[in-house]
Amino acid sequence: MEMIKIINLHKSYGDLEVIKGIDLDIKSGEVVCIIGPSGSGKSTVLRCVNRLETPTSGRIIVDGKDIMDPDTDINHVRTEAGMVFQQFNLFPHMTVLDNVTLGPVKVRKMPRSDADKLGLALLEKVGLADKARNYPEQLSGGQKQRVAIARALSLKPKVILFDEPTSALDPELVGEVLEVMRQLASEGMTMVVVTHEMGFARDVADRVIFIDDGVVQEDSNPGDFFSNPKNPRLRDFLGKVA
Amino acid sequence: MEFHFDWSVFFESIPMLMRGVKFTIVITLGGLSLGFFLGALIGLMKLARHAFPRTVAITYIEAIRGTPMLVQAMFLYYGVPMALGIRIPPLTAGIIIIAVNSGAYIAEIVRGAVQSIDPGQTEAGRSIGLTRSQTMLYIVWPQAFKRMIPPLGNQFIISLKDTSLLMVIGVGELLRTGQEIVAVNFKAFEVYLAVAVVYLAMTLSIAKGLRMVENHLDMKTTR
Ligand SMILES: Nc1ncnc2c1ncn2[C@@H]1O[C@H](COP(=O)(O)OP(=O)(O)O)[C@@H](O)[C@H]1O
Ligand SMILES: [Mg+2]
Repeated sequence: MEMIKIINLHKSYGDLEVIKGIDLDIKSGEVVCIIGPSGSGKSTVLRCVNRLETPTSGRIIVDGKDIMDPDTDINHVRTEAGMVFQQFNLFPHMTVLDNVTLGPVKVRKMPRSDADKLGLALLEKVGLADKARNYPEQLSGGQKQRVAIARALSLKPKVILFDEPTSALDPELVGEVLEVMRQLASEGMTMVVVTHEMGFARDVADRVIFIDDGVVQEDSNPGDFFSNPKNPRLRDFLGKVA
Repeated sequence: MEFHFDWSVFFESIPMLMRGVKFTIVITLGGLSLGFFLGALIGLMKLARHAFPRTVAITYIEAIRGTPMLVQAMFLYYGVPMALGIRIPPLTAGIIIIAVNSGAYIAEIVRGAVQSIDPGQTEAGRSIGLTRSQTMLYIVWPQAFKRMIPPLGNQFIISLKDTSLLMVIGVGELLRTGQEIVAVNFKAFEVYLAVAVVYLAMTLSIAKGLRMVENHLDMKTTR
């Protein structure tokens, strides 16, 4: 069962072609890690999936809905495909709980009390129930990112897109975020994770994808990906980061 | 003839000026309230995706910022009613003139504040399924509004002073009231000094109130 199907995706910014024909199928329950050098187009692919960026050409099907079809309600698609950003992007003027309940209340029209119950349960899940009444600026980076994950979960999405969720964190705070992501993976959540955390990709991913120069250079299981990489660019890349 | 500063004239004119102060305050508050709605609308139009609202907004802002307020006041009070075949009472006209004039400057304040909010905020809002307007209403606007407060306070002071220009259309505001007193006692120095002092008292109060609001917001959150 396909959760995300990307067919011949191209994306240009002006004259600069960033994505040069990508095909990708992500099945329900799969955890797919995307790695690649900075500027290779990883974020762009992810952001095309929930149409934060508009593809130049190609098709993207999310949970059976063609996101480029004018009849598709993109706001609904976005509730099915949550997103976690490198810079967290929490809403600084709202409490942690309100960050998590905004979607349920305004998008799902959930009654306040139900939304609060849901929000607290999600904060509990990421280990931050005691911070519900705090403001984001009172949290550490790792805590902020865990709130962002709770916010992404608040609409009960079918897939979550993570764009370098630990890259903005101090090294000692990376673990707590990866731990939450591991738990989500073990619960069967479909996840697409752009990351430089090779350990996480090796342990948690069902598939690892190497994107360079706007195309998929390698797409295999973590064992082959790390121990027996076929693509010369990937070998070069792994040599540099290892 | 030697000049003597007459303190009694100075002090006696102040209570008489209060009638004018009332109009100055009513016009400033009325004009700025309308001007804020107008400015918010025009400022957001300038950020619109479509060219038409953007063009309307730019034209309006440039026309107002590029012409003297005195000319705007004459045009709106004497010119426009002639074209429309209506008469507008001076007080109403004064409020409209302040609204139309401040609206252009407030539009730029609103646009600047909204644009200063990290695009990541909008992306996060859209990523949880909020519509464009919901994202503006719940996420961008509240953060932008805080940043608008200092420049809006500044505009408050500017518009308050600008109401003095409305004497040309016969609004009985502070400066006009002073002029009427001078017409009777010929004590221009004392009376206009009193007028200036009253304006200064008002603008300093606004500045002080503004600092208090800013400190209060700073205490609540550093953003
Ligand atoms: N909004 C944009 N306008 C112009 N160029 C962009 C924009 N977003 C990304 N790019 C360019 O597209 C390329 C790929 O960016 P990105 O997808 O962010 O790479 P990655 O996430 O792999 O580091 C980069 O060269 C980047 O400069
Ligand atoms: Mg990136």
